[in-house]
Amino acid sequence: MKLKFSAFSKIFAFPLAFCLLSHTALAAPQKVYNAESMMLPNGMQVVVIPNHRAPVVTHMVWYKVGAADEPQGDGVSGAAHFLEHLMFKGTEAIEPGQFSKLIRSWGGEDNAFTSYDFTAYYQSVSKNDLPRVMAMEADRMINLKLPDKEIESERDVITEERRMRVENDPQSLFTEQMRSVLFAATNYAVPVIGWKHEMPLLKKSHVIEYYKTWYAPNNAILVISGDVTMTDVAPLAKKFYGILPSRDVPEHTRPVTPDFPSPVTLTFESEDLRQPVLIQAWRAPSYMMDKTVPYALDVLMETLSGGASTELYQSLVVNQKIATDISMSYDGDARGEASIWLSAVPAPNVSLEKLKTAIDAKLSELVTKGVTRDAVEKAKTRLVDSEIYARDSVMGPAMVVGQGLSYGLTLEEIETRPEKIGQVSVENVRAVLKTYIDPQKPQNQPVVGYLVPKAKAPQQEGTKK
Amino acid sequence: MKMLLVICILCFSSVAHAEILDIQQVTSKSGIKAWLVEDHTVPVISLRFMFRDAGAVNDPADKQGLSQILSNTLDEGAGEMDSKAFQAALNDHSISLGFQSSRDDFGGSLKTLSKYQEKAFDLLNLSLSKPRFDKDPVGRMIDSNLVRIRSNMTDPEWMNARLTNDILYKNHPYAMNAGGTLTSLPRITPQDLRTKFADQLAKDNLIVAVAGDMTADQVSVMLDKVFGNLPATAKLQKIDDVVMSDEPSVTVYEQKIPQTVVTMVIPGIKNTDPDYHAAEVMDFVLGSSGFGSRLTEEVREKRGLTYGIYSRMNDMKHASTLSIGTATRNDMADEVIRITKEVMAGLTTEKITEKELKDAKSYLIGSVPLQLTSNERISGLLIGLLSEDLPADYLEKRAAAIKNLSVDDILRVSKRILETRNIKIILVGQPKMSDTYQSVTSLPNVE
Repeated sequence: MKLKFSAFSKIFAFPLAFCLLSHTALAAPQKVYNAESMMLPNGMQVVVIPNHRAPVVTHMVWYKVGAADEPQGDGVSGAAHFLEHLMFKGTEAIEPGQFSKLIRSWGGEDNAFTSYDFTAYYQSVSKNDLPRVMAMEADRMINLKLPDKEIESERDVITEERRMRVENDPQSLFTEQMRSVLFAATNYAVPVIGWKHEMPLLKKSHVIEYYKTWYAPNNAILVISGDVTMTDVAPLAKKFYGILPSRDVPEHTRPVTPDFPSPVTLTFESEDLRQPVLIQAWRAPSYMMDKTVPYALDVLMETLSGGASTELYQSLVVNQKIATDISMSYDGDARGEASIWLSAVPAPNVSLEKLKTAIDAKLSELVTKGVTRDAVEKAKTRLVDSEIYARDSVMGPAMVVGQGLSYGLTLEEIETRPEKIGQVSVENVRAVLKTYIDPQKPQNQPVVGYLVPKAKAPQQEGTKK
Repeated sequence: MKMLLVICILCFSSVAHAEILDIQQVTSKSGIKAWLVEDHTVPVISLRFMFRDAGAVNDPADKQGLSQILSNTLDEGAGEMDSKAFQAALNDHSISLGFQSSRDDFGGSLKTLSKYQEKAFDLLNLSLSKPRFDKDPVGRMIDSNLVRIRSNMTDPEWMNARLTNDILYKNHPYAMNAGGTLTSLPRITPQDLRTKFADQLAKDNLIVAVAGDMTADQVSVMLDKVFGNLPATAKLQKIDDVVMSDEPSVTVYEQKIPQTVVTMVIPGIKNTDPDYHAAEVMDFVLGSSGFGSRLTEEVREKRGLTYGIYSRMNDMKHASTLSIGTATRNDMADEVIRITKEVMAGLTTEKITEKELKDAKSYLIGSVPLQLTSNERISGLLIGLLSEDLPADYLEKRAAAIKNLSVDDILRVSKRILETRNIKIILVGQPKMSDTYQSVTSLPNVE
C-alpha cells in the first residue's frame, strides 16, 4: 500500500508533460479505496470497502433521491427530509421509535441525513450485527407504516429542528436566502428542511407519495465499509435486499438557473448581527455536468485558498491587511448545478465595500497574470495526499463513495479521482478562473451578500416573573 | 482459500477481545514517555501531545484567551522561517499541525503521511523550541479571534455556555472565557506568549500518544528529536477545586429568537470515583444515549417538543458536572424543564428496568470499538486516558466493572447524584416562565 501511493505521488511532482506521459504508461489507474462492487438482480448496487482496523462495519443505504426531487410549486416543502425522520417510525415488524433503540442496545450507532440529491441511512455496529441491521434496513425500504399520531409529533420535531438550525441564527437565514437567489427558479432554491411557512402544510400523503415513488432497491445503493469483504457481504445482500421488488422510478429533473442579466447584491442589516461579513456565490458545473471543469475548479480552490500560505490569504490578510479572514470553496457534488462560495471578514475599520473592491482587484489580477505553475502543482499534490488520509477511516470512505454514486458518478470515477486531479493542467486552472470568477465578465453573475450589524437598543436587568 | 480466510478472521477477533487496544509504552533514551498503537495499514501517523495544567486555567485574569492565542501562534513561524515560510512548509507536505488549548491543558496534534514524517517532526520541534511570535501574525490571530467572538455573539448556544460558566464557576479561573474577551485579547503581547511558552510547556508536564505507521523504536527516536530540548520543569500556578454554590438559580438572557436554548446543571462525579461507571449507566438511561433515553422519549418522541435533548457528564480537573441541554419553542421552555426534573426524580425513586440496564451495558461496552477506526481517533483516545491518569488497560477494566453493575447500584448512584434541589438553569431566548428568574442583559466575560 505504502509503496503504491508514494510511487503515485512522485509522478505528480514531475512537470506536467512528464506526468501525462507517465500516465499513459500506467497499466491500471491506482484506486483510492479498492472498493468491490456487484449488482443484485433487482438493480440494487452493492459496494464493499474492506477496512480491517477494528471488528466493526458501517452499513449505509443511499437513496438516489433528495429534496430536489420533491414536486415543485405545490406549496409544501421538506417532504424528503420529513420522510427521513418518519423512516424511524416503524414497520409491521419494528414498533415506532424502536429502530434506533435496537441499534443502541447492540452497542451500535445510527442516523440518517437528507440532501438535495440523496438521502442516506446508516448504522455503525459490530460486524456480527451486520445481518440484523441489513434485515431492518431492507424491511423499512418497502414496509414503512405511518401512524397519524407519529406524524403530528414528528412534524413538531422538524419544526424545532428548523428553529435550531436556521431561525435562531441570522447568518443561516441569510445564506438560505442567498442560495434561493443564486439558484432562482430551480429545485435547489428551496431549503432541504423546507420553508418555514410550507413545513406545517406537509401531510402524510406528501410523504407517502414521495416514498412510493422513489424508495426502491433499484434506486438505492448499499455501501458497507469495515471488517468484511464482498465474500461475506454478497450472500447477505442477496438474502435481505435481493428479494425486494424493483419498481420504475421517474427521471430526475434538475432545471438550470436562467442567465439573469444583472448581478444581485443582498444586504442584510440587523441588530442581531455583530460581525460584518462578505459572502459571494457563483454557479458552476458539477461533476455530473462536466467531466473536466470540476476537477480544474477543485485545483483552483486549493491553489487560491488551500491554507494560510496560499494566494488569497497571503494577499488580502497578510500583505494588504484588508481582511481578517478569507476563504473560497467549490462543492461539485451535485446532480444538477454546483456552486462556488467566497466568504471574507474585513479587517478592523475596513468597510465591506472596500473589502469587496480589494477582492475583485486581486481576482482580476489573477485572471490577467494567471496563477503560477508552482502553486498549481503544490495544490495538486495536497489534493492527492488528502486521498491517502481519506483511507484512514471506516465511515469516511463509505460517505465519499455513497455520495458520489447516489448523484450519478461511477465507482471508477470516484476511485480514480487522484488521476483526474493529476491531469489538470495549469492552463485548465487559468481557464476556469477566467470563466467563472473573473469579476469583469463572469460566465454566471454572482450573488453578493453583505451582513451588516446594526446598533442595539439597551435592555432592562433584574429579577422577573 | 475461503475456509482459511474465515479462520483468520476468527483468530483476529478473539485476540481483539482479550485486549481492546494493544498499547505499547515507549520510553526514549532521555526518558520521555509515550503510548503507541502501531498499525501499518495506511501510511499515516497521528501524534498527539499535551502539557498538563498549562491550559486557560493558568492564564492571568486580565489576559483571558492567552492560551488560545498561544495555540494559534505556535505554528506561525519558528527559527529562520517566518509565518508564511512555516505555513508553506507544512502545507507543501500535506502536514496538519495544530495546537489546542482547553480549560485545563495545552495540547497539540500532528498528522502526517509516513513519507513526510521527518519533515513533520522537524517542524514540530522547531515550533516547540524556537517559536517566533512575530508581531504581525500575533495581531492577525488576535483579530481573527475577535471575529470569532463577534460571530458567536449571535449564536444562542454559545451565549448560553458563557452564562453557564459564569454561574457555575464564579470566582474560580474556570469562569474566565478560555477563548478570550473583546477587551482582553487586544492586551495580549508577543512577550506574554513568550513567557507562557517558556514557563508552562516542559518535559515534566508533557504526555505523548502516537497511533499509526510507526514502530516503538522509531517513536523512541522521534520523542528525543521532537521534545528533547524542552525545559525540564514547568512553572504552574496551583489551582483550587471549584466549590459550587448550593443555591438553585434560574437565569434568563433574553434574545429575540423563536426557540429557547436550555441548560440545566448539577454537580457530577469524578471518573476516578468508584461509582463512576454506575453513573455512566445512569447518564445513558437519562439522556446521553439520545434515542432510547428517557429524556428523548418524553420530550421529543412523545411530545415533539425538541429536535434534541441530551445529558452529559463533564469531568474536568477541578470540577465535575452533569448537564442537560436542549432547545424548545419559547412557550414550552417551562414545560420542558418540568418534564426534565420529573424524569430525573423518577430515576431516584425507582430502579431502572433490567432491560434498560442490559441495553446500557451493551452499548457502553460494545460501542468502544467504533471509536477505534482511525489513527486520529485512537491517538485521541490514548491522550485522553493519559491526561486523566488512567491505566493502559482502562478499557478492559471499565468493561469488567460495567458488566458487574446491578439495578440497585444504579438506583443508589442516582440517589447520590440526581439531586435537583440546587439545580442551575440557564436560558437564552424569550421563554415564558411561571417561576421567578434572574434576568441578565449582558454576557459575562465577552466584552
